[in-house]
Amino acid sequence: MSHKMSQPPSLLNKWIQENNELVNKWKQQEKGRDTVRQDHNQPHLKWCSYEFHKLLGIIQGIPPNSDYTQLELAVVYNAGVCATAQAQFSEAELFLTQAAERVLQVTGGETGASDPLVCWRAVLKSVENTHLHPSVLYLVCLQWAIWLATCQLKTIQEFQEEMPSLFETLCGGVGDGAISEARSKSSNIPLMVMDPRRLIELLQICTSIALGAERLTEGQSSEALTGLQAASSLPAPRALVGYTHLLSGSCLTHMRRPQMALQCYRKALETDSRCVCALYQSMLIYRQLGNTQAEIQALRLLHSTLMLPSATDPALASTHLLSPSSLLCSQSLSSLLSVPSALSVLHSLALKCLLCGRVSEGVEHYLDLLAVLHSEDQQGLHTQDATIPRLPELYLEAGAALLMARRPADCLALCSEVISTTLELLPEKVVLEEPEERREAETRDTEGENRVAMVLWTAAAYLLQGHCHSHLKDWKQAVTHYTRCINLLVKVRLKKRDFQPQFSSADMDVQRGKDLCVLQKLKGLSLAGRGISFTQTDKLKEALRDLQLSLQAFPGIFLCTYRNLSLALCWTQQSSATEYRNLVLPSQPGDKKRMPCHLMNRINFLHPVKRNPLSQQTWINRESKLEHVLRVHSV
Amino acid sequence: AMEGRCAVETWTEFGFLGTSTTPKVRFGTDVFICTGNDEVYVFSTHERKLKASNCFSVKDDLPLCCVSFSLNMTFHSCRAQSSSPDSSSIPAELKISEFLVIEADGVSSLLLVGTVLLTLSQRDSSWLMTLYKTPEQTESSSYEVLGSFSLPLVSAVVQADTESKTSVLICLHCGDTAPLTLPHGHFCLEPVLFKLLFGVEAALAKSPVILCGLPDGRLCFLPLRLPGARLRVLHSIEQPVVFVGASVVTETGPGHSQCLVAMGEQGRVVLIKTEKGRSEDGSSLAGFTEGIVSGPVQCGCLDRNCLYYSTGSDLLLLDLSEGSSGKESKERVEETSRKTLQSPTSLNVSRVVALAEPTSNTSVQLLGLSVRGQLQRISLPARRKDAGLSKLPSAQVGRSIRDLLSAIGDVCERSSVLKTAIKSKNQILRHLNQVVNISFLLTATNNTEDDPAIKEKPIRCHAMTSWSRLLQKDCLNLTCVLDNSSPFVLERGWTLSVTVFPLCCSSTAGEEISSANFSFPFQNLNSGETLEVLLPIAAAGDSSFPMTVNCSLIFSLSSLLGEQEAASSNISLPLNTLTVDWLNALQLNSPTARHKMVTFQPGSITTDPIQAFISSRQIRCSGRADRGAESGSRPEKYSASVRVSSELLKDSLVLKNSNLDPKISLSSLTVHACGPNGATVKLTAKKVGIVFSDELEVQVESSSMTAVCGLHHAVLSRIQVQTHTHTVRLNTIFREVQQNQISGALGVGMTAGQMNPGLLSVYQELRQNPLLII
Repeated sequence: MSHKMSQPPSLLNKWIQENNELVNKWKQQEKGRDTVRQDHNQPHLKWCSYEFHKLLGIIQGIPPNSDYTQLELAVVYNAGVCATAQAQFSEAELFLTQAAERVLQVTGGETGASDPLVCWRAVLKSVENTHLHPSVLYLVCLQWAIWLATCQLKTIQEFQEEMPSLFETLCGGVGDGAISEARSKSSNIPLMVMDPRRLIELLQICTSIALGAERLTEGQSSEALTGLQAASSLPAPRALVGYTHLLSGSCLTHMRRPQMALQCYRKALETDSRCVCALYQSMLIYRQLGNTQAEIQALRLLHSTLMLPSATDPALASTHLLSPSSLLCSQSLSSLLSVPSALSVLHSLALKCLLCGRVSEGVEHYLDLLAVLHSEDQQGLHTQDATIPRLPELYLEAGAALLMARRPADCLALCSEVISTTLELLPEKVVLEEPEERREAETRDTEGENRVAMVLWTAAAYLLQGHCHSHLKDWKQAVTHYTRCINLLVKVRLKKRDFQPQFSSADMDVQRGKDLCVLQKLKGLSLAGRGISFTQTDKLKEALRDLQLSLQAFPGIFLCTYRNLSLALCWTQQSSATEYRNLVLPSQPGDKKRMPCHLMNRINFLHPVKRNPLSQQTWINRESKLEHVLRVHSV
Repeated sequence: AMEGRCAVETWTEFGFLGTSTTPKVRFGTDVFICTGNDEVYVFSTHERKLKASNCFSVKDDLPLCCVSFSLNMTFHSCRAQSSSPDSSSIPAELKISEFLVIEADGVSSLLLVGTVLLTLSQRDSSWLMTLYKTPEQTESSSYEVLGSFSLPLVSAVVQADTESKTSVLICLHCGDTAPLTLPHGHFCLEPVLFKLLFGVEAALAKSPVILCGLPDGRLCFLPLRLPGARLRVLHSIEQPVVFVGASVVTETGPGHSQCLVAMGEQGRVVLIKTEKGRSEDGSSLAGFTEGIVSGPVQCGCLDRNCLYYSTGSDLLLLDLSEGSSGKESKERVEETSRKTLQSPTSLNVSRVVALAEPTSNTSVQLLGLSVRGQLQRISLPARRKDAGLSKLPSAQVGRSIRDLLSAIGDVCERSSVLKTAIKSKNQILRHLNQVVNISFLLTATNNTEDDPAIKEKPIRCHAMTSWSRLLQKDCLNLTCVLDNSSPFVLERGWTLSVTVFPLCCSSTAGEEISSANFSFPFQNLNSGETLEVLLPIAAAGDSSFPMTVNCSLIFSLSSLLGEQEAASSNISLPLNTLTVDWLNALQLNSPTARHKMVTFQPGSITTDPIQAFISSRQIRCSGRADRGAESGSRPEKYSASVRVSSELLKDSLVLKNSNLDPKISLSSLTVHACGPNGATVKLTAKKVGIVFSDELEVQVESSSMTAVCGLHHAVLSRIQVQTHTHTVRLNTIFREVQQNQISGALGVGMTAGQMNPGLLSVYQELRQNPLLII
């Protein structure tokens, strides 16, 4: 090798200097802009990548030469890292294969292996015990990173199995820290844009996380758990360690150990306070356990965390060129780490508060929600998760909340906003299709406006207005609005009548025939409301008629009125004793301790806890709230 | 074609002839022009001079892709990194940021909505709309990504076809929620159309909607402030979208655009409007009207109701308001719109590559940039008030004027017909009012018939008889006079109906009642006027006297209302009944009369027989007894007489009922006359004075039994009428007498002296009105 030193050293030094200059420039840039988000490094990164590529082209312009090989490998590493950071993986892999071939040409190894595993084995073998070995190892690390970034976990696993020793070498201090430190002092040692030791640390934990996520998705929870628990002790950024705890928690949830899962989530939060997913997952567990207070607490925490400005930054922002987020891009992991938007959380919080009786709190949250929706600030709105209900439904929910909080005037305003929006578009008649033909997902995706939904929204708004007026004891207005509601509802024609909602069955598929269910419920509620309004204006005949119709439309609603003693008295006075006996008495609970049917219904509706509990039947919930309002009102 | 020519005024020349890429132009008070490579010019339209040029130059390999301007005139460029600008040449208000704000590949258009900067760029497999939050201070460089929305490409084929990757981005606001001043590229859409196109949620969230036209022809939209919104396809015109805009079209709303217009490179135009009640359930729908104009379209702009577009060789105008005129049926709309789209008007301005909407309100002015780099102001010829007409071809104008004129004629005719109808209806109403008044008047007097002498009908008939000779035959005519003394006018439609029939019909003969009916329609009879009609009632030899003459007024509604409306329903109002008796029918001037003692004038024909009658003196009516005694010398074999006081006779002569002139002579008279049956009669009246000095005996003598009976009956019936009134008077006298007697019998304190004058007066009265006994 020494005879080669006769070659003009200036060229080598020049190239090394050029490389080092580029690296230093990059590091300077990185330091100067460490607070700035990564996006803004992009032009500079591109420039760096371009420059490294150019330099590499110059270096590779001469035939493979062992004197230059180390420099060349360093430049390949730098150019490859830059390319990978820009997600130009094919370009980076091209650098790597070219470099491998050139190394093999220098060392006289066997060239032409197309399989990257075979190729790398050959290269490593050929450079064994030479000074090129560490440099080649770095390139293998880069290859590993590319595999990880392109989610080729199988390849990584094969590689690990085939060359466990290599991995041990890699993991056990390839970098030989002291040496590289010493090297960096010298000017004729080529520098690297990213410390290989950091890269290896990152690769180890990211691989563990990605593998864990993959196994968890495949249902191998216990295997995933062991791997993740082992990874949690690795030296790594806090966020990544947090991920291992988080995923362990998810494994435990799958293994039906909610308390242990909660412990893991707490650990994840302790490790990384910004781990919103852990908060979210614990909230889900509390919900599953039926711990409403804790659930609300968790929701509130989750919301405030999401509202922090840092929450919008990627959790894994790093000053390294290769960020963990670019390495952890598998579908299964991202779905495991997904967290609903702040808006959605706020909505869940509001709804939860309302349903568990914390009305004023719920109202505040609803008002916050509406304020966010109408604020000029676009923050947080541009999420594509569709877990919050459609806007008119949100308005109506907020209206119902306001009414429950005894703010009928505000409720009226919200409802009239909904009505004024939909009024011009209401169809003269609308056909409600057979429940099987339409699904919730389709409903949401249909082009244009769903006419049935529009009618139901408007009708619900009228119903709420009717409730508001009866709350204000303006019975005439109440009758007017209930009548409007009824008039709207009768425009809906049912295409197939064989489907009768079975409200008593607990396992009723609420998804099916949801519109029909809502329609019947609205009919029942509006008729009952009008009936009650009629009793207040001493129109007992009409009242009786409406209440009977209400009973036909939706049996559950009627039960709300049986407690109304004055109403019952009215009937008996009106010599309608038979009606009273037929209608009221059978619905009286025989056992006083038994829960009234409508409450049971409500609980049935609330019960389903799905994978994503935030997208539960808010419609039904709202209707039950209305029912609640009516009940409160009529007693 | 259009009258007058467009005035084109070249303001300045940039001289970028033949650049391959289309220049980017941003019009406003300052016109920014980017030649596509390295230069941006700023031209002030107020000062009409170039403010700055070369203020921005970029590297050759990084072509400036698109430019947009925010309110504070920050200059955004996409792929360009500027060199330091020549600060001296830049206007003070224009600050150009020197840094690269966003680096994104393939950005084809930009739009600024509030503080959000939107970019639309094409990626390998999708279109990507990215939202950036613009910093508050222009010096800061942090353009935070708020979110991005992607839309997959349709296919590689379509993409390969589209060489130019230009896209159009506009922002639409919903009616009332729109800000007062809309920046460039922002439109305020009518609320119903907005909701129909973009959903009620966007309207409820008061969210602006971004509409983008893509080179593959798709029109996509994104509600900006709606959580969970996605970039969705609204429509596709299947050719590169050159222009998207919104136009008012009809000036109903306060500046709300009613029509969304998109234009493709090959000339396909789509108008999107609300169509009311189109769907089967009666609700509104968004209607897409497509049409094709001759392309290639290079650029376009909209004003209130016109679309201007340049094909490079010509600048054309497309009136959009015509399509909205007929809304009766879908076919009609399609028809008219197709017609509209087929006939754009040429403005004869060529080589325009960029256009800006009219800047002034009074006359239409466009700002155009020609392919030679000339910034031009194009003033369209002044349009008439009716904008639709001025743009039509002259043949069409002529036709439409003819149509209009005939329409005006039709309307005039119709209105005059209606006026006449109203007038006639009023007339009829007034007329009917008169009729109703008259009938009320006549029926009201009918009802109070108790005392006909007191209450006489204000409309009544008088009659006179006269003999006339016609065709060697004598006949008796009745002159009937209708006297209208009511305050009302008898107008057209009234008919005087006179029915004449014998008073006593011989039931034994079994023949029909030979009644004769005469109708006299008349036109107008004012208050106080009379109508005289003459009618024959009997020929000589006819002896069916006395005859009753019934007068009535008939109003036929059909004459007034037309036949179909009042189906022969007539109002018949009886007036009064007259009697023509033997006395009336006596013929004194008959050539068969032997005695010429009485001469008569035609005017007193009816008087003379009365006078003659009064003078006749024969007491007994025993015709059979006298017949033999007197038959030898005289033809009068039968006689009848009646005694009557001369006063009563006088009275009976003035009975209004018979309309006889009170020409009486109480001297003894003998009248020879000829009855209607041709028999000679002699009427004698002479004083007898046995009981009362003024007693008269009236004697009828004739050889004809019929004549004697008839005349005797006539005399008696007349006297009876008179005695009827006397009887009434006598009754009152008797009552007074009785009263006096009763009071005399009961009144103890009443002296004989007090009673006597009462009795005396009764007596006197009785004397003055002597009772007549037949």
